[in-house]
Formats: sequence, C-alpha cells, structure tokens
Amino acid sequence: MTLSADLKKQILQNIDRVGTKGAEYTDARFYTNDDSETLFLYDGNLEANDTNFESGLGVRVLYGGAWGFAATSDAKAFDTCFEQALQNAITASKLVRVPLHMGKKPAHTGKFASPLKQDPFTVPLKEKLEFLSAIDARLKEDWIFKRYVYAEFQKKNIYFFNSEGTQVERSLSNVFAKMMVMALDSDGQMQRRSQDLFTTGKGTRGYEMLTQPELFSAHAERIKDELAQLIKADILEYGKRSVILLPGQGFLQVHETIGHPLELDRILGYELSYAGGSFVDLDSFGKLRYGSDKLTVSAFGSIENSPGSFGFDDEGTPERDYLLIDKGMLVNALSSRAMIDEANQKAGRTVFTESGGAARATAFYRAPIDRMTNVNILPGNDGTLEDIIASTEDGIVLDNPVSWSIGSNREHFHFSCEIAWEVKNGKKTRILRNPSYQGHTVEFYNSLSAVGDASTWHVGQVDNCGKGEPNQIMQLGHGIPVVRFDNVITGERK
Amino acid sequence: MQKNKAHEIICAVRAAAAKRGIDATFTLHCEKSHLMRIGNNSVSLNTSEILTRLDIGVINGRRTGSHTQMGDVTSQEYVEKALQIAVDKAEVASEKDYQPISAIIEAAVDENSQYDKALEQVDPSFKADAYRQIIEKVGESYNFSGSWSSGSVELFMVSTANDLTVYHLATDQDFNVVLKHPKKKWELRQAKTGWRLADFNVNDVVDGFKKLLPVYENHQGFKLEPGEYTVALGSSALAEVLMMACYTGFYGRTYEEKQGWTSKNKKGDKVLGSNINLIDDPTDDKTFTFGFDLAGKTRALFPLVKDGVMQNMMYDIHTAAKYGRELTGHTGGSTSIVMQPGSALPDLLAAVKDMGRVIYIPALHYLNMSNPSQGVFTGSSRFNAVLIEDGKVVGPIFSSRITDSFQNVFGNVRLISSEAESVNLSNTYGRRMPEASSMPGYVVAEKVKITDSADSF
Ligand SMILES: [Zn+2]
Repeated sequence: MTLSADLKKQILQNIDRVGTKGAEYTDARFYTNDDSETLFLYDGNLEANDTNFESGLGVRVLYGGAWGFAATSDAKAFDTCFEQALQNAITASKLVRVPLHMGKKPAHTGKFASPLKQDPFTVPLKEKLEFLSAIDARLKEDWIFKRYVYAEFQKKNIYFFNSEGTQVERSLSNVFAKMMVMALDSDGQMQRRSQDLFTTGKGTRGYEMLTQPELFSAHAERIKDELAQLIKADILEYGKRSVILLPGQGFLQVHETIGHPLELDRILGYELSYAGGSFVDLDSFGKLRYGSDKLTVSAFGSIENSPGSFGFDDEGTPERDYLLIDKGMLVNALSSRAMIDEANQKAGRTVFTESGGAARATAFYRAPIDRMTNVNILPGNDGTLEDIIASTEDGIVLDNPVSWSIGSNREHFHFSCEIAWEVKNGKKTRILRNPSYQGHTVEFYNSLSAVGDASTWHVGQVDNCGKGEPNQIMQLGHGIPVVRFDNVITGERK
Repeated sequence: MQKNKAHEIICAVRAAAAKRGIDATFTLHCEKSHLMRIGNNSVSLNTSEILTRLDIGVINGRRTGSHTQMGDVTSQEYVEKALQIAVDKAEVASEKDYQPISAIIEAAVDENSQYDKALEQVDPSFKADAYRQIIEKVGESYNFSGSWSSGSVELFMVSTANDLTVYHLATDQDFNVVLKHPKKKWELRQAKTGWRLADFNVNDVVDGFKKLLPVYENHQGFKLEPGEYTVALGSSALAEVLMMACYTGFYGRTYEEKQGWTSKNKKGDKVLGSNINLIDDPTDDKTFTFGFDLAGKTRALFPLVKDGVMQNMMYDIHTAAKYGRELTGHTGGSTSIVMQPGSALPDLLAAVKDMGRVIYIPALHYLNMSNPSQGVFTGSSRFNAVLIEDGKVVGPIFSSRITDSFQNVFGNVRLISSEAESVNLSNTYGRRMPEASSMPGYVVAEKVKITDSADSF
C-alpha cells in the first residue's frame, strides 16, 4: 500500500501548522498498514488462525522542552490528532526541569525494505498450514505429551515525516517461528525442548527463510531426541562451575544484561517507574570494565537479515553500526537524538557524538523510545563448541531459556534453562535437567573465558521484548557465538 | 443495548450473517487512553490515543478463523469485509480433533457502574499539576519519575447464536511515582489506583513519601546473606506472586496439560495453608469488574481456594472445548482475584513487634517461574524494602532475590492483614483492558528463601 498524495499533503501542512504555533520539532508516522498473521498448531489442532490489520497516524510534538504525542486510527481525525499532540506538548511543558532537545539535523530522504523474496502474506494460507502441519507430524510421538509449532508473519509500511524536512519510507517484514515438545519426567514434572527460527545474518527474510530446513524444520528430530534423554536425566546439583551458553541461551543473557542496561533512556532514569534503571551511569562510559577483554559487543552490526535491521529508526536516523563494548571496556549506549543531547548536557562533556539510531516505536499509536537494534557479541578466537568443551574442566553447556528474572538495575540475574549437558575434564558426559544459574552482571562478564569462532555464531530473533509506558513490544536480533563463563553459581541451593 | 451507530451496524451484519448460517462473534473494543510519564522531575511524555478494534471470530464445523481490524466502524461494508476475512480463514483452516464451542451471549448486560466521566475527561494539566505539587512538597533535590495512565474502555459484543448484546463502559487509572536519591540511589514508590478520579489524592502520596524518607535518609543499606527469613510481602508483591500462582495452578489449561504446580492434585486437595482463601469476585469494587467474559458467559463469584483447599479451575472457551469442561467465565478479559483479609492489625510494624527480625518486601521486580511444575518462582525486591526488628524499622535492604515455591510461602503464612487494598495489575501492551486484584495490605510468612542479594539498592 502507498500513501496518497492528498494524505501526504495533509500531513506536511499539519507539520507546518504546528511549527507556526511554536513547536520546536514535530514528526509524524503514518502506517498505511501494519499487518500480522499468527498460525499456532497445538497438538495438531489449529488453535490460532488469526490476522490483525492496523493503520493510522502517530504525531509527536516537542514544545517548550517537552513531548506531546497523539494517535488515531480514524482517518478523518488527522487534523485533530496534530492539534491534540500539540496541546499535549504544551501541557507537558508546564512541568519541565530538564528540557529535552532534538539537536539539529539536515533534511534527508530515505527508503528501506527488509530483504525478501516471497512476501508471506502472498503465500496461500493452505500452503502455510501444510508446511506447519508437516513439522507437527514429525514432532508427534506417543510418549510426547504436548507439542506445538507456530509461525508469525509481520509486515508494516511506514511513512515518516518531520519538521526538518526529512522523509523516510519503510517496508518492514518479519517471520518468527517456534516449535516445542513436552513430556513428563521421572518425577511427573514437565520437561521441554524447543527451537526458534533463527538466521545466519545473511540472506532474505521472507517466507523462504521459514522453509529453509537448517534454520528451522531440520531441528525437529534433534529436540525430540534430546527430550527423550532429558526426561530420564538427573537433576543438576547446586554448585559453582563453568557455564557454556549456546546461542539459544546466550542471546537472552545478552539481551537482559547488556542490551537493556545500555539503553540510554534507562540510564538517564526515564524508565525507573516501570522497566527499571541501570547500574551503568554516564561516568561508566570509557571507564567501566564491563567484561573480560574477550567481550566485544556491537549495536546493529550491519546484519542484513534480522528483525533488528530496519534501515532507519522512528526518528528517521539511519541505523548505525558501532561498538557498545570494546574488548571489555564500555564505550557506547543504545540511543536516540533527545537522549544523547540530554546525556551530554548532564555529563558536561560529549559522551555520545551522535544518535545510535535506536529510537523505535512498536506501532503508530506509540511514541519512539530507546530500544535495542541488534546487540551482538562478536565472534572470538576460541574455536568451535567442541574446542571450548575440550578446554573446560568442570562445567555445563546450557540451551534455551525457561525463565529469566533480572534485578531492577540489571545488576543481577537468575535464569533457568531447558537443558544442560555436563562437561567433565573436557568431555560432554550426561544430560541434566532443571538447570539454572545466577550471577551479578559485571562479575559475570568479567569471568568470560572463551568466545567461539564464527562457526558458532548465529542470529537469535526476539519477537517480544517489552518496555516503556505505554508498553511497547519490539522485535530485534542478537548475533551470538558460543560463550563460556567461569565460577558461576548453578542449580538451586537445597 | 445498542448505544450508537457502530453497534447498529454490527447488529445488522450479525443478523445477516446468522441468516446465512455463519457462526460468528463480533467484539468492538473502543478505548480513550491518556498517559503522562515523568522523568527527571519533568513530564517526559504526554500521550493520547483513541483506538477502535473490531474482532471477529468464525467457527465453521471444526474449523476456526479470526480477524481483527483497527479503525472506526462507519459502514456495514466495513464490518462485512472484516467478517469475510475471518470466514475465508475458517474455510481453509485444518479441522480440530474436537468441536469448538460457539460464543453465546448468556444474558444481556449493560453495565457502567465503574464509569467516571471526570476520570475519562481529566485534563492532562491536572496530572502535571499533581506531579508538580509532589515534587515541590517532597523536595526538588530528589529525582522523580512516574507514570499516570487513565482512560475508558467500551466493550460491545454480539454473536450469531442469539440477538442478545453485552455492553461494558468503565474508566480506570493507574498512578505511580518513584523517588530516587541522586547519590545514594535508593528508590521509593507511591501508587494509586481506582476507577474514579477521586481515588487519587495528592496529599496521600506526599505523606507516604514523608513517612518513608527518614528511614532511608538516616540509615545505611543492609545486605542480606542467602538463607531463610521471616518475610512480610506487601499487597503489590503479594498480588504479583498470587496471580502467578493462579495462572500456573488454577487455570484449566495449565492444569489439564500438567504444566503447573497443582497438576498432581485434584479439587478438594489442600494445596496451600489453611489460612489462604482466594476467590474471583467480579463484584468486588476494589477490582475492575466485568459482568461477562469474551465468550459471552456471565461472570459470577468463583471460589478458587477455600481454607487452603483447591475448589475450582478457571476455563476459557478453547480449553473447555478441548477437554470437555463447562465454561466458567474466564475467556479473555480480566479476573477479579480477591485474597480474603485476615485478622492482623493493619499496621505492619505493630503486628510484627513480637516477631523479631522481619524483612518487608512491598513490591517484587521481574517475577518469573523458574520451575512451574514445582511452583518455584523467583523475583527481586524493589521500592521501599526494609529490615524490621521488634516492630521497628532498622533500615533499607539492598536488592534481594526470593526464589521459593508457592506451597512453601503460602503454607507458612503467620499473619494476614485485616485490611484489603486494591492492586492495579493492568498493562498497556496492546489494547486497554484494566485488571486489579484485592489483596490484604500484607502477609507475613516464615522460612522464605532469600537466594541472592546485590551490593546496591
Ligand atoms: Zn527485552
């Protein structure tokens, strides 16, 4: 779908009009369509066969150092929506101790489309169901108590305009999928194994990604086989040992304890009442040894194929590839224009030279906030998974989260996982169930002792990162190799 | 009850669909939402959203499809088009191995008993002014943040099974403010909830902070070593833990599929301590009440746990169909979970004066189930958490993690406050659908496991 010339004119006229009334900055995002489709096969029954179509306008106005935002799904109410956003900003400006500024940027135009060969929304429903049913049939076994396979397709067409004259047009597509098998263990408790659709970082992200066996369907037999062993396995004993995280667990570790604490709005205290703060402060940049020198973390990472690759953010800033952590040293944050302006003012020095291109909104009816793009650990020099296992004396290999709970400043964490493989004297020995581990963020990353090479690296897709008020769900990616941490508390104390 | 043009249009399309033999449910959700956020003692966002969503679900034999369309309902054509999408999806869908249950409006409902026009139409400057007063009266030297969500929801639902309609109009608000010490880093929080604008009172918030501040200003933080403690959970922490216990213990889906901590039990088994009573009470005004669920079932008082004994499971329409159970009024929408108050003094400090050392945790952050089968949850303390000795506050505690089971915590409850408090459980993901529970002001449980603590708040 495209934006009509009349509607575009109306939006531009309104941006001008709001400007003449004293707005410092205005932007508008019009979504011609924001479509999603969810197909969920549970025990072979199609439990979700849903589509959701949205379209509408979101307007953000900066006036007197404060933001006003308004949104409407009613195409006849666009003029009112601009007026409401302005009025909201004027009201907000009555309580301003720290005025927000966008800084000045020259106008630019841009276009971005997620790389794709086959738009999932053009694939007949029947074909999609047949594909998922075939995987479901492979998961089915008498001893498997529950199984599911699902896919979600997303497509958005977004037109962005701001009062600086910038115009950006984007067409974003995502495909997410997951399969899971569950069975009761020897104690009558539910165990599970799962596999998410992942990417290699390369290639296209249309329907063709879902049907590439090595990225998804080929894992059906492996997770079944692992579950069969898991239900008969011993329970992980409490104790300190090394943990080797496969990318299926490492992505969430990085997400929760590197991604979230490095969101600049969090660092500046804008998320305190809900998502929480960060143990990182402005003085930490260039000084805090976040991890061992094996830890190098990038934002975006120029990954072609990821939900966190979107061309331009929701302020029209081109997405930017830069390091967050350089050989263990904290050097940058995930940021947006207003937040870097405020951070630099607050610090009294230039901590951040430019926006990280990470202002993102989940829908037209939400204002952009600082989000993750792709937050990635760069591959290291410690070889393959087998090489890392061979150099581990006493440890466990962990995969896929069951639960995650993180301190409000992201200073400590607790994760439980689906499966563990014991490692003794350089050898994988047996599978262990109910594995969990906990730690304190900085101490944990400083115990990073091995980082796998590019052969161990893949991009985990996240479709449900929650943040902000009003709450916003966001899609993003994490390129993660196999990583090993030492001296970690694992299992639960008796 | 048809309230407006959109309802008339939907009823007309419903009637035509029924004539064609289509089995369909139509739900119209209209929200007027406002939210003000505070950060660094300033309004950081002031946002208004007016959004309308039409949900259509279709059952065709054993096949189902559904479609949601956002936008104003102004013509029959618009609704017919959305219906056709759902019809087409159901046509292609694979058959289930059980018969889906059709949504039937059980009884006409027209409710607005929790609607306050003053709250729906509150001028955002009222909110900005309240935050300004709080900041000025408590002290500009602290860092304040917070959010204040308010708005209204209109829900209208019909199905092709009959020509009854249900209609719900209500308002809700969720106010909170967090005070952070810029150097010492501790955080204090005050919250207000309710469906009337008058449920908010700026002086209560200011007084709440003024009571807490001396404790924090005059004492260092304590670091708890891992171990078992007597813990007082405040209403907010209690609601978080109990709602998770309900999701994983008293919902038909988790129970039937042996995923939860009650899966080895049956109705009539004692699963929690004898002093624990839980009901879903859609008439309790401390909750946001809904007279019907999204399957059209009339909601009524529904006991979950009586004297620690498991009474009932909550079933949604899909689970009921799959496992051949009765509908219980728990398809979508919000519950009104009430934990019955006890007999302890409402003043926690007075109530625990003979109990020695007690850790007070009013709120928990990032609660999750590390082992659903065993009922093991984990989460860490946040806001206003203190160490109490012999009924006196000794000082604030650093961020501390509880990892324990529902059975253990709610099997060892010694005191339950006699006063009930409303706890807002709403989130603003997706559409506005307020939910609140009514909880005792606190419970005190013994032998609660603290498994980790940070060196900071
Ligand atoms: Zn997240």
